Amino acid sequence: MLKVQEIRELIKLVDQSNIDEFVYEHEGSKIKMKKKGNEAAVVQQIQPAVVQASAPAPQPVQSAAVEEPKAEAPAQVPAPQADAAEDLHKIVSPMVGTFYQSSSPDADAYVKAGSKVTKDSIVCIVEAMKLFNEIEAEVNGEIVEVLVKDGQLVEYGQPLFLVKPE
Amino acid sequence: MQSEIRKKLIDAFTKSKGEYLSGQYLADLIGCSRTAVWKHIEELRKEGFELEAVRRKGYRITKTPEKVTPDEIRLGLQTETLGRQIHHEESVDSTQKIAHRLAYEGAQEGTVVIAEEQLSGRGRMDRRWHSPKSTGVWMSVILRPNIPPPKAPQLTLITAVAVVQAIEVLTDLTPQIKWPNDILMNGKKVTGILTELQADADRIISIIIGIGINVNQELDDYPDELKDIATSISIEKGEKLSRAELIRVLLGKLENLYKLYLDKGFYPIKLLWESYAVSIGKNLTARTITGSIYGKALGITEDGVLMIEDSSGKVHHVYSADIELDV
Repeated sequence: MLKVQEIRELIKLVDQSNIDEFVYEHEGSKIKMKKKGNEAAVVQQIQPAVVQASAPAPQPVQSAAVEEPKAEAPAQVPAPQADAAEDLHKIVSPMVGTFYQSSSPDADAYVKAGSKVTKDSIVCIVEAMKLFNEIEAEVNGEIVEVLVKDGQLVEYGQPLFLVKPE
Repeated sequence: MQSEIRKKLIDAFTKSKGEYLSGQYLADLIGCSRTAVWKHIEELRKEGFELEAVRRKGYRITKTPEKVTPDEIRLGLQTETLGRQIHHEESVDSTQKIAHRLAYEGAQEGTVVIAEEQLSGRGRMDRRWHSPKSTGVWMSVILRPNIPPPKAPQLTLITAVAVVQAIEVLTDLTPQIKWPNDILMNGKKVTGILTELQADADRIISIIIGIGINVNQELDDYPDELKDIATSISIEKGEKLSRAELIRVLLGKLENLYKLYLDKGFYPIKLLWESYAVSIGKNLTARTITGSIYGKALGITEDGVLMIEDSSGKVHHVYSADIELDV
């Protein structure tokens, strides 16, 4: 859950930007803001239970590294500007595949929240059909959050990490 | 690395197809004296080639060494780009690591790294791959295709088809492919393929395809725990093979399929792949690190993704898994 101060900061940023609507989700909490012209912004912070019922699944829900039939296809990845307001860099998956946090099941994860990374630090592997793609951080900074779980199927363009650039 | 002169010599002997080439002809070809030609011939002899020198006729190669040196592979190589640069090592940790470095340093497309022995061959998730000296083919091929990164996994299926075709040509036996790219003979693994990709967001920098083929290992070379699951081409065929020839044929097949793919897309590859696939229409288990799916393999999608229908009729798309076939 975000602190009041952080929400206030967000409102300010959204207010100053030219986006009309802003949705932020984190660990089951959700914040939604809408601008109505020059009138006051509407801010909602929804508890996890409510989110389950109302929010469309933002990413594949199944745990196995397989894609369910089309009917359950994951919703579109959120538009990049959603987080632009936060100044966080997103490391996204360049292809569909399985996310691995380490080079082998016994090895330590490449990075976790709090890890410092440089542009060419390897942060994870995405694998499909035995093609292993070592993903680099692309920015210098600090990993703020790991958005997917080890072994999870990730979509093309799906955010994997949030990085606070230096 | 081989010198340009040695390459020219080997290419000339390839074209002569066993006919004699005069010392003067070779001297003109490589732009040096006949004495210098003789020195290069001596170098080839040191490498294990046997050359016949006949007065007034010239030189011809009568026997090639049982190594997979660049010269040995180049003799008879029909490709345009694949294997035109060969980096040969006696013993390496992993050919992939060397290929990574070469790719980083700007090695051209088609550059190949080959080792007589690989000490820490890497399989999926660092699984070990058994590899005694000079019995198998351990190589890495660097490609730089101009295709979107999400398409890159298809190259692993292309490579599997190339290996199957090469073994077919040399043995008259038809291996089978287990999704995505394990190659089986008589139900046992004969080849493993592992590919690594370096890419920017929208551009492939390099793809390094690692291929490990069991060629001339004998049954006794395998530890007991591998005897039921691994085999070599020579065990299946009943005689030894020239590894250099296998590499040449493989590079030729891979180059043809790669060109076909760049030209026409994945569809023709898909048809070829399915024609060799062992798993289609069979029941199997797909194991991932988070769970398993059991069902019937329907085939692969236009992207090469495995489709499995479970008992409830639901079709799963599998991007990563270890496949176990029902016995």
